Amino acid sequence: MYGNWGRFLRVNLSTGEVKVEEYDEELAKKWLGSRGLAIYLLLKEMDPKVDPLSPENKLIIAPGPLSGTSAPTGGRYNVVTKSPATGFITMSNSGGYFGAELKFAGWDAIVVEGKAEKPVYIYVKDDDVEIRDASHIWGKLVSETEETIRKEIGSKRLRIASIGPAGENLVKFAAVMNDGHRAAGRAGVGAVMGSKNLKAIAVEGSKTVPVADKQKFMLTVREKINKLRNDPVAGGGLPKFGTAVLVNIINENGLYPTRNFQTGVYEHAYEQSGEAMAAKYLIRNQPCYACPIGCGRVNKLPTVGVTEGPEYESTWALGANLGINDLASIIEANHMCDELGLDTISTGGTLATAMELYEKGFIKDEELGDAPPFRWGNTEVLHYYIDKLARREGFGDKLAEGGYRLAESYGHPEYSMSVKKLELPAYDPRGAEGHGLGYATNNRGGCHIKNYMISPEILGYPYKMDPHDVSDDKVKMLILFQDLSALIDAAGLCLFTTFGLGADDYRDMLNAALGWDLSTEDYLKIGERIWNAERIFNLKAGLDPERDDSLPKRFLEEPMPEGPNKGHVVRLKEMLPRYYKLRGWTEDGRVPKEKAEELGIGEFL
Amino acid sequence: MVKVKVFATLIEITGRRILEVPAGNVGELLEKLYATYPGFKEELEKGFMILVNGKNIEHLQGLQTPLEENDVVSIFPPAGGG
Repeated sequence: MYGNWGRFLRVNLSTGEVKVEEYDEELAKKWLGSRGLAIYLLLKEMDPKVDPLSPENKLIIAPGPLSGTSAPTGGRYNVVTKSPATGFITMSNSGGYFGAELKFAGWDAIVVEGKAEKPVYIYVKDDDVEIRDASHIWGKLVSETEETIRKEIGSKRLRIASIGPAGENLVKFAAVMNDGHRAAGRAGVGAVMGSKNLKAIAVEGSKTVPVADKQKFMLTVREKINKLRNDPVAGGGLPKFGTAVLVNIINENGLYPTRNFQTGVYEHAYEQSGEAMAAKYLIRNQPCYACPIGCGRVNKLPTVGVTEGPEYESTWALGANLGINDLASIIEANHMCDELGLDTISTGGTLATAMELYEKGFIKDEELGDAPPFRWGNTEVLHYYIDKLARREGFGDKLAEGGYRLAESYGHPEYSMSVKKLELPAYDPRGAEGHGLGYATNNRGGCHIKNYMISPEILGYPYKMDPHDVSDDKVKMLILFQDLSALIDAAGLCLFTTFGLGADDYRDMLNAALGWDLSTEDYLKIGERIWNAERIFNLKAGLDPERDDSLPKRFLEEPMPEGPNKGHVVRLKEMLPRYYKLRGWTEDGRVPKEKAEELGIGEFL
Repeated sequence: MVKVKVFATLIEITGRRILEVPAGNVGELLEKLYATYPGFKEELEKGFMILVNGKNIEHLQGLQTPLEENDVVSIFPPAGGG
């Protein structure tokens, strides 16, 4: 087999057993790898009804067939598991160098099962796998964890994925961090790792990922890298200003969520934009493995020294969404989230919910005591509560459950801007209605990257669509984006390559690397299969389409109060039935037998 | 006069973030900016996003979109993220 090794590790932490399992090319042709292989294994082996934080849940860490090759951005991996935040599937994706290293060690995935009696970490050196004691690093920050393990093993090559105190304390939105500042961030994958008493996975490998036709692959890769370098976004805006170049774009278009999505225009947006960051704090770019784009930011501040980030989403979540405009405080808060192992989007989303509950009088001063009041724009909130929630101390214990459960505990879940209990990212869907349909139908809940309709609706990629159009063309574009994103995740590449590459380009690289002769349609079918398989997992886990494929009431009933989208709500009811129909699903959003059989996944129904 | 807000690399070219320019439509405004600021035109050759009062001119009348006193025009070179 090429690209994939055709084998993965199964580590049972309850018994300490480590097994090597193999799979064949036929399976790879169906699922490709990474996010695809993982959902196949979960559907085959695990009851989707398991408690996400119980030993019965499985945590799958999987790079794709192009991870570790020279394909541009080929360093990604996915963490796939049942989410403690949503109760549904999550596939949290990360860059950096860890994913590629796991491939160098000769593995397509690590399937972690059970629960260790005491804190442990897994050390993988090529074929050698050890479960080691981690009692001495339990409680440590991410940087301290990496440093301690590095010293212990004494290898410079080592790449580490770990959790911080947030994951140990089962914070519902704890992340798995790798290479210091990169995060498989969303939906609480870090809490699942913590529930297994697994502090870290340290990997080093000496192998070369085999590709079918070296010469052809090299030429194909070179062509795709040139396409990315010549693209004005991937080769221009992103490297120069980072992802936060979007701050001004989204704000000027009137959908930059402000003060818990109460409006889409933030008066201080420029002060926290990529332009401002580059002028004030940026030292250099930080590319991930094999990346010609280099959107990562390395910033320097007197308070925290040299740090990475924040990205666009984090800048917004810890900034405008809280009415905070001090960029230095935002960078510090982002650094804290990385060190404690927290998803920045849900951290900000949860704090924003607390601020609105405070504004509306539901959270009272008496309850907070000496702790900072949840006033909009109060930077003290960031530094105080981020630490408290990661450690579940005081009011932080309530925050650690996420914005939805927090708002629900006060009897007002409508103040949580979330879908399927996952906090929404930095685009108000009243300014991009196809993106809103994406939020409502995303398999992991309130997430932007698995269906980035901002691309056609705002940025004009692959072409400009009217953000308020809700026609079948819009719905079809969303379905294409969902399937294509699943394919790119399964391949082990970064979604930013879509700024410059199209579906045919992924086909070229995959065929050259894997030695296959599949068509673009064949590859998109893999994406569609993955999307449907994840949907089946969710339905089996208890997803109720009528209740769960929805949006917060605010977007459906409260028109945008100002700016270019003034007066708009999301016309979800007009789009959702057509989405189900165009997906080939039943009227009530279920995957019918015919569709499942057409995709070769009838066995999972 | 219309208020023109420029972003990203365009700020380096104009030396300012906000300009005031008299123009009857978007096309006329661009010609004035091209004439005043060397490099402005080249920066937009690979594409641009132009908003009039927050609405993309692709969904208005393109370069023919009329401008009135106190309109706000936002101009971006190609950019994206996520």
